[in-house]
Amino acid sequence: MNSTKVLITAALFATVSFTAGCDTQPVKANACIPPQGHDLDVAVSQSKSDLSDVCSFQFDAYLGRLMNIAESDPKPANKEKFSEFLLWSNQAGLLSKQQAKSIYNRYFNVKYVSLMGDYNNCSLTCPKQQEVLANMERELLDKERGLVKISRDTGSYQRADRLLQETELVLEATCTACSAN
Amino acid sequence: MSTPSKFNLSDSTGLQPFSALVLAWMLLFAIPTQAANTPTLKLFPTTVLEDIRHTGSVAKEMESGLQEVISRLDQQQQLIIDSKCEEADDDPGCAQLNKQLGATYLEMLNIMESNLPTMEQAVETTRKSLAKRLRKELGNGMTPWSLQENLLGGQSGKQASQTRPNLRGRSGMRLSDRFSQYYKLVSNSSSSQGSSMAVIASDIYLDMEETSDLIARTRQEISRATLMGQLNQSFGTITPEMLEVVNGVKGILFGDPESEMPLAAPPTTADSTAYQSPLSL
Repeated sequence: MNSTKVLITAALFATVSFTAGCDTQPVKANACIPPQGHDLDVAVSQSKSDLSDVCSFQFDAYLGRLMNIAESDPKPANKEKFSEFLLWSNQAGLLSKQQAKSIYNRYFNVKYVSLMGDYNNCSLTCPKQQEVLANMERELLDKERGLVKISRDTGSYQRADRLLQETELVLEATCTACSAN
Repeated sequence: MSTPSKFNLSDSTGLQPFSALVLAWMLLFAIPTQAANTPTLKLFPTTVLEDIRHTGSVAKEMESGLQEVISRLDQQQQLIIDSKCEEADDDPGCAQLNKQLGATYLEMLNIMESNLPTMEQAVETTRKSLAKRLRKELGNGMTPWSLQENLLGGQSGKQASQTRPNLRGRSGMRLSDRFSQYYKLVSNSSSSQGSSMAVIASDIYLDMEETSDLIARTRQEISRATLMGQLNQSFGTITPEMLEVVNGVKGILFGDPESEMPLAAPPTTADSTAYQSPLSL
């Protein structure tokens, strides 16, 4: 009889201990799911919380989800929210300053990060002219998302569109002139 | 008690009128202006400007000489189509029409042949001088980033839409009219319009490339036609090559109505008070 009591007590103790163990170490299986809902501020807040913990490897998924949420309520203020989020990401060590700048400008600036470099156009841009233009066209799609669908800034998007067309024309002429040397 | 500002020009106890004038002058030049932030492009020195003007007048002369013959060519070609001569090779009337068409075509080639050397020289001079300027200023003198900064010109909104030329593409109007427009744009421009100038210079240069190509093709066609004339072969029908030359000449000299599209729509006014991120490049 005594041995039965001892066994029951031991089993209860083991169960309690096991349950208590679960409480002190929460399971992280669901922690890295990007935020749901339509409130960008809440989503940004949750994203920061998750990303500063163990979900940093999911940064792209979180950013993509934030953009989806912002698209459901486009307004000029969203641009600033993404800027702040990317600055925070840099400060939290998730992105380098250069990466943060690159992402922000790719989506929210008129100028193209695809058209950068430290050397002159004849030597740097012209040898890969078509590749540069193709990258700029892809970037224009991202600008459409950032400027129009998220920030409702059609004016800046149209300037970016015109800049691409002018760049195409000017590069065609300049690169022909470079090769005519 | 407020401290009197050293720079208060209206303060009678402060600076003397002359000093105030000097200070105002210094301030005027010390404050960086929008134009000062945008590097000035030297794409159109006087020589290039003169080349453009000359090319325009040569094109006008060529147009006036060709207009009548090309319109006659069009009428004859239409008559052949209306008479269904393409299916009636043996018909004497059709043979006569075809012969007339061939003669008019040769006439067009002869007019072009007499005008081409001057035109070719004018185009080549403009093309070369523009190539040199483009290479120096945009090709070797700028990075990709500075190029797009220059195209944006540091301008935004209303100012940009007012100063930018409304580009028509390279085939929307008569060659001489295009050069006349180019000349006006370039000669009336100020240095602050560097961005527009890069686009105009590129547009003219590519125009010159196309025109050079057309001239080369036309000269080849003249040589071929002359050879056929020497071999005593008549122009029975207008060949696809002949049609291509005629259409090319018409397109570049008199404009292609289907291409009368602006290169880009003017930008919508941007809000100058818009948010500026610290991440902005």
